[in-house]
Amino acid sequence: MSKATRILTVDDSASMRALLNHALSTNGFDVSQADDGVSALEWLAVNEVDVVITDINMPRLDGFGLIEQVRGGTRHRDRPILVLTTESSDEKKARARAAGATGWIVKPFDTDKLVAAVRRVAH
Amino acid sequence: MAVDLSPPNVTRLTVLQGQFKVSAGPKVELSTVLGSCVATCLYDPVVELGGMNHFLLPEPPASHNRGEVDVHYGVYLMEMLINEMLAYGARKDRLRAHLYGGANIRSGMQQIGTANAEFARGFLLRERIELVREDLGGVSARRVDFRPASGQVRCRAVASSDAPEVTPQPVFRPAPRGEVELF
Repeated sequence: MSKATRILTVDDSASMRALLNHALSTNGFDVSQADDGVSALEWLAVNEVDVVITDINMPRLDGFGLIEQVRGGTRHRDRPILVLTTESSDEKKARARAAGATGWIVKPFDTDKLVAAVRRVAH
Repeated sequence: MAVDLSPPNVTRLTVLQGQFKVSAGPKVELSTVLGSCVATCLYDPVVELGGMNHFLLPEPPASHNRGEVDVHYGVYLMEMLINEMLAYGARKDRLRAHLYGGANIRSGMQQIGTANAEFARGFLLRERIELVREDLGGVSARRVDFRPASGQVRCRAVASSDAPEVTPQPVFRPAPRGEVELF
């Protein structure tokens, strides 16, 4: 049996983390969660991951900063990073793309579309 | 006849069911009328910015159709309101919240108002956002007028016929959100 895809979700909303955890765990993913960019970097420093899903607006370190730091490092620089956000502006989307995001998903998320996107980028 | 007691030159914006609005305008007033729905008013006193949402139901039921979403749920409208506030310079640890609504106006219906009120209180607790005032429950509709730049709120009872009708279950529609774009 193949190993479950490991996902780190990064979101400052406890309710959104709960929704994401439910949606992804019930679809067979191995889910870990962080509540902002700083917590995510601390977790990534000592853990392996296949896909990162991050919010944009978060305290301490936002999603843009997280993507830039992951891409600028060595350990996870090639990992797919999906942005999951309530933002819908083209400017923010372009900024995420320039920072190195792999994809952009608009909240409220649709579980089937989210799962399909994760499977596509996870290889 | 209703008398408008608002000062002159105030721009009143109505926050309808399933909506949220954020403003720092000193002459802006966000208004809504609530029955079993709940409105959250958030305010950051440092940047003098506020916002209001108006939700019909707490969270999607576990049985909901996974291919469809509804933005009328509190869990989405809470997050969208908070994110919009943060995008305009607010900080989550400075946010102060007011909660209004959650009445159970029609005795024969499910206690949607109570469920909405409990969800809103629990959400703020989980997110560690300070609840400074609430006027929830009861059997009367409410009108809420919120000045987002000053944080001032006025809440008063109004005739229940003024409150918008709420169906026990939201009307699901094809997802307007959740779109995926891979770069």
